[in-house]
Amino acid sequence: MSVTVITDEVRAVDGEVVGGRVLVEPASLVDAVGWQLKPEGLCRDDRCVPVRDLTAIEVGHQLDVAAVGATLGRRAVVDADGAVVALSLDAEGRRQALSGHRAPDFTLPDLDGRPRSLEEWHGRRRMLFAFSSW
Amino acid sequence: MQDELSDTDLAVIAVAIQEERDGLEPFLDGVTMPVLLDREHLLTELYAISNVPTVIWIDADGTIVRPNSVAVSTDTFVDFTGVNCEEDLVALRRWIREGVVPVSPEQALTAVADLSDDEIDARLEFRVAAHLRRSGDEAGAAGHFERAGQLAPHDFTIRRAMMPLTGVDPFGEAFFELWAEFQAAGSPYHGFGEPIRD
Repeated sequence: MSVTVITDEVRAVDGEVVGGRVLVEPASLVDAVGWQLKPEGLCRDDRCVPVRDLTAIEVGHQLDVAAVGATLGRRAVVDADGAVVALSLDAEGRRQALSGHRAPDFTLPDLDGRPRSLEEWHGRRRMLFAFSSW
Repeated sequence: MQDELSDTDLAVIAVAIQEERDGLEPFLDGVTMPVLLDREHLLTELYAISNVPTVIWIDADGTIVRPNSVAVSTDTFVDFTGVNCEEDLVALRRWIREGVVPVSPEQALTAVADLSDDEIDARLEFRVAAHLRRSGDEAGAAGHFERAGQLAPHDFTIRRAMMPLTGVDPFGEAFFELWAEFQAAGSPYHGFGEPIRD
């Protein structure tokens, strides 16, 4: 079975819904949220966040995505019927943006579907123009 | 505007905060700048944006020198730049040509309030709703859209952006009702809600 995990992208990963919780296979966690569970905690690159209570995130041999998010300081919205969970983005990036210190990087597709990152224009002055047709 | 400053280091990057590229055609005529599509509204969470169009100026080293500032839009979409009026263009020119920013570092520091937990949850509800809608589950989507609107009642990137996704005309009566609610609440805005003038 597959569930949908929404972070900065929408990803379908192996998992299931049990008791209103969206669970993923441990091997799928890194695909789902970009972090993996190791003995030292939840890890991404060389950063690890300790997991104080493993029983809060483990359900059987699977992992509760919303609880993993909570460990990382992310908020979550779950739709059990739709087998989907959305986790908030890294709030630290936004705090840096709001304090004016650093523009958080992001990657979005251009109209040809090619992924583009703000970092591509590093070293140049940039004007971000957010707009819509609505 | 791009042409005028094309001999400088300025890069203008447009980000469309919406579900589909459909509807962008009137904006794209003759445009050479990169246009990115942000269907999950990542920018509105990363930069605490509550309405568009808005502009953010970023220095060469990645420092934000002018946070979210409302951009004056025209009804005709004649000038798709974010600096549609002459005064905004003057400000941009002064930054690029003379290095003068109309916002002090102190102002920049306090201009944009952080998102509340409710405003973050509204973005998550919106993403879940948009996903369910894409999956064909309109009924499931409706509840999450409604919840998103309740959590962030004065956020146009939530309330107005959901209109075309729920069969409502974003330029019709619903928009004017939203605008009245927004004004009655004191026009809450993350960033500079009025154009900055020298």
